[in-house]
Amino acid sequence: MKIHTYEKLWLVASLVLIVGFIATITYGSVALGITMVGDEEPTIEPDEISDDERFGEPRVEQVGENEYEAYVIAQTFIFQPETIEVPADSEVTFYVTSRDVIHSFSVVGTNTNTMVIPGEISTLTVEFDEPDEYGIVCNEYCGDFHHTMEGQLHVVPEDEFDMTELAVEADDEVEIDDDATFEVAVENRQLEALETTVALEIGDETLEEDVTVDSQMTEETTFTVDSADLGEGDHDWTVTVDDYEESGTLTVAEDLEDEDGNEDGDEGDGGDDGDNETDEEGDTDE
Amino acid sequence: MSNTFVDAYPKQARIIRQAFLTSFIALAIGAFFGLIQALHRTNILRAIESPTYYTVLTGHGVFLVITFTIFFLVGVYQWAVTESLERGPVDMRFTWGWYGLMLTGTMLAAFAILAGFTDAIDVSADVLFTFYAPLQGHPIFYIGLVVFVVGTWLAGADWFRTWLAWKGENPGKRIPLPTFMVLTTMIMWYISSIGVAVAILAFILPWSIGIVESINPTLTRTLFWYFGHPVVYFWLLPAYLMWYILLPKLSGGRLFSDPLARVVFILFILLSTPVGIHHQYLDPGIAEGFKYIAMTNTMFLLLPSLLTAFTVVASMEHGARQRGGKGYFGWLKALPWREPAFTGMALAGMVFAFGGFTGIVNAGMNINYLVHNSLWVPGHIHTQVGTAVALTFMAGSYWLIPQLTGNRLVGRGIALFQVVLWFVGIVIMTNAMYRGGLIGMPRRTAEPEYEGFNYEVAAGSVGELNAQVALGGTLLFVSTMIFLALMILTLFNGESEPIDNRTIPAPLSGPEDSPPVLDNLKLWVAIAAVLVVLAYVIPLASIVSRGGLFGPDIGPFPVFVEPVSLLIETVLVSIGW
Amino acid sequence: MRLSWPQLLIVIALLIVILVELRTVLAFFEIHLSVTATAVLAVVVIGALVLWTVLSSADRSE
Repeated sequence: MKIHTYEKLWLVASLVLIVGFIATITYGSVALGITMVGDEEPTIEPDEISDDERFGEPRVEQVGENEYEAYVIAQTFIFQPETIEVPADSEVTFYVTSRDVIHSFSVVGTNTNTMVIPGEISTLTVEFDEPDEYGIVCNEYCGDFHHTMEGQLHVVPEDEFDMTELAVEADDEVEIDDDATFEVAVENRQLEALETTVALEIGDETLEEDVTVDSQMTEETTFTVDSADLGEGDHDWTVTVDDYEESGTLTVAEDLEDEDGNEDGDEGDGGDDGDNETDEEGDTDE
Repeated sequence: MSNTFVDAYPKQARIIRQAFLTSFIALAIGAFFGLIQALHRTNILRAIESPTYYTVLTGHGVFLVITFTIFFLVGVYQWAVTESLERGPVDMRFTWGWYGLMLTGTMLAAFAILAGFTDAIDVSADVLFTFYAPLQGHPIFYIGLVVFVVGTWLAGADWFRTWLAWKGENPGKRIPLPTFMVLTTMIMWYISSIGVAVAILAFILPWSIGIVESINPTLTRTLFWYFGHPVVYFWLLPAYLMWYILLPKLSGGRLFSDPLARVVFILFILLSTPVGIHHQYLDPGIAEGFKYIAMTNTMFLLLPSLLTAFTVVASMEHGARQRGGKGYFGWLKALPWREPAFTGMALAGMVFAFGGFTGIVNAGMNINYLVHNSLWVPGHIHTQVGTAVALTFMAGSYWLIPQLTGNRLVGRGIALFQVVLWFVGIVIMTNAMYRGGLIGMPRRTAEPEYEGFNYEVAAGSVGELNAQVALGGTLLFVSTMIFLALMILTLFNGESEPIDNRTIPAPLSGPEDSPPVLDNLKLWVAIAAVLVVLAYVIPLASIVSRGGLFGPDIGPFPVFVEPVSLLIETVLVSIGW
Repeated sequence: MRLSWPQLLIVIALLIVILVELRTVLAFFEIHLSVTATAVLAVVVIGALVLWTVLSSADRSE
């Protein structure tokens, strides 16, 4: 076969170029450790997602000193959790699955990007060095409102990050001379124990209590306020733990018409009664 | 005394004209849809509701990359086989038969897509060109695609039959180069389109009718991409054929090397299919090792294109020197730049080379994280199929249509402007798409700007990128319309004769320089089959063993479009409905 | 005419394309050209090219 000299040179140069390209990609895989989304995770039936230990409650979990795992569900046309919050200087492994059709989980402007296929769990381990805020989009067409599917990823400074949850159960109204109680639950989902101060402000009074919440535990504190000191009327109150705040209003009345139910606040945890119960979570999963 | 193709083969010219006509109608609709998208996603003109955007997008994809390209392909290939074997098909009824099947398939799929514009008919197929399950279109859409593909299979069978008949009349002769290109392309097509046929017939169609309840999305997706990458070569190879056969002649010379051209097409048989997983780099459920194999295969697939670049440029230089060109670069001036057929192909080749390098970014497994499904990808597609292929087809038409009609091309100067306008339009549009992709702007979306965040644009602004996409898209639409107008005028330019005749000069280095083994098609089919088995059997087995043939209980998500598009409403009102 | 009309058309197209891409390349080196600046540059360069082509036509034709 007759091949022109220049053509032979071109052929050799082409092969060198191709081998060079393969070498750079291999370097990225081996030396830089950029691994591809693979088949390590078992399959999961979309119908079973809700009962799954990880995806039943989509959230961020701490699994090591600077290591976190995020369990994310993509479905038409939302991400759960809608906002993911992780600390800077951490290593986060995302586990993403779909409830319905093929989506993607793509952190805009970064190489954190994976397809999300129903039945499969995509895993991506990402290091976040600097605090920043990113958008998350679905970049695979998933139906007529595909363009509305978005989420957020907040990488917050390490010292501002916590996984504290504050819940306050307080009386709405009390009869004058009775005690008003504020039950404050502080949950710590981080691996390190949390040392902090719970503070209640009501009227001119400020009550404080130092608490230590062990990892994965909830510490309850009860404040009792004598309503006679407050006097008749509406009193705004605020419970603060670090950056978390809960507030409400306590009404002190001469005589309560409905004697039952509202007098004391000890009707059990999370009871859906007349109590002013609010809940704010350290991470904003829903 | 004219010596055109239509003079020599009037019956064949007729069916080729018919194929081109179908192709150009699809081009007109697809281009119009493209214009709507360019203006919609940039928020410059929103004539439709955003959910309808996806109906338009499905139409744009299917009409342009399936109907326009493949009908053009069968036209060009029928021309190439007839011209190089110097004979027509064994039975013209069979030839019209496959054309009829392709047309029927197209009409069915087009009906399913276009019905998405109206609520009056309970049919839609807003599943885009890739129809990833569990998104589900109407069964008519899938049936249409299957009928169309069967039509192309029969077209290939027709060309093989013609070749076998020719072989009987010409024992011991080498396969003429154009026919060789046609046969090798069709072999690649047979090997690869099995994937989409199995995906539709075994899984998606029964599931869309309701015979089976569930589907394995990774399996149908993998089968789609088994076909989905070779199909881009199915669009590209007719353009290659024209670069190898027509461009050297148009440059005033002859093809540099026949043997190398054969090697290039054989490489496409071997390497086109075992690379499809490079579209699934970011898919869960497929092990990294398979992705790595697909990556290396893909990189080697650069080789035939790099060899083509050499041969095409060398042939052009040879032509220019025949025309009196001198100097290291001075010969460029001697090329026939006033010929739209030549200039269009040359510019298409230039864009193709540039776009090829953006393809290497896509193919670069771990770099793919950055650009996967971003606007970068349609940027790449529009430089490759949207220009290397489409512009070559348009430029080729300026030479072929006169040959097929016996009429002189109308408006040669305007045609030159048309191809140059396309070149400028595509660069303006794709430049913005590439930049948009790098900042993370997604593809395939009606509204790429979101409420919760803003893009961090390295250079310029999102507004500027949008303006560039809209401007480029508009130029491309105008260019397409000029092309179609010139085609219609040429069709009716009866009282004239083409300038050029149909002869194709023999290559500088002819088939006698190439070893006969290159023509041993059975050997290449066997090697290709081995490579496909190596690349696909284990991944497919793994996908089936993970998710089962019919998936882990994954039901359908039919795509319905609620709002009737305002645009269609306006059209209907204006025509008095 | 130093260039024929078709050649001039193609060179203009190439210049537009090169300017569009050059602007992107420059941005990677932190050199930001605004749209207006690019447009002005394009007009100047293309204008100069056209003048160069047309004005030299006299001595060629003789």
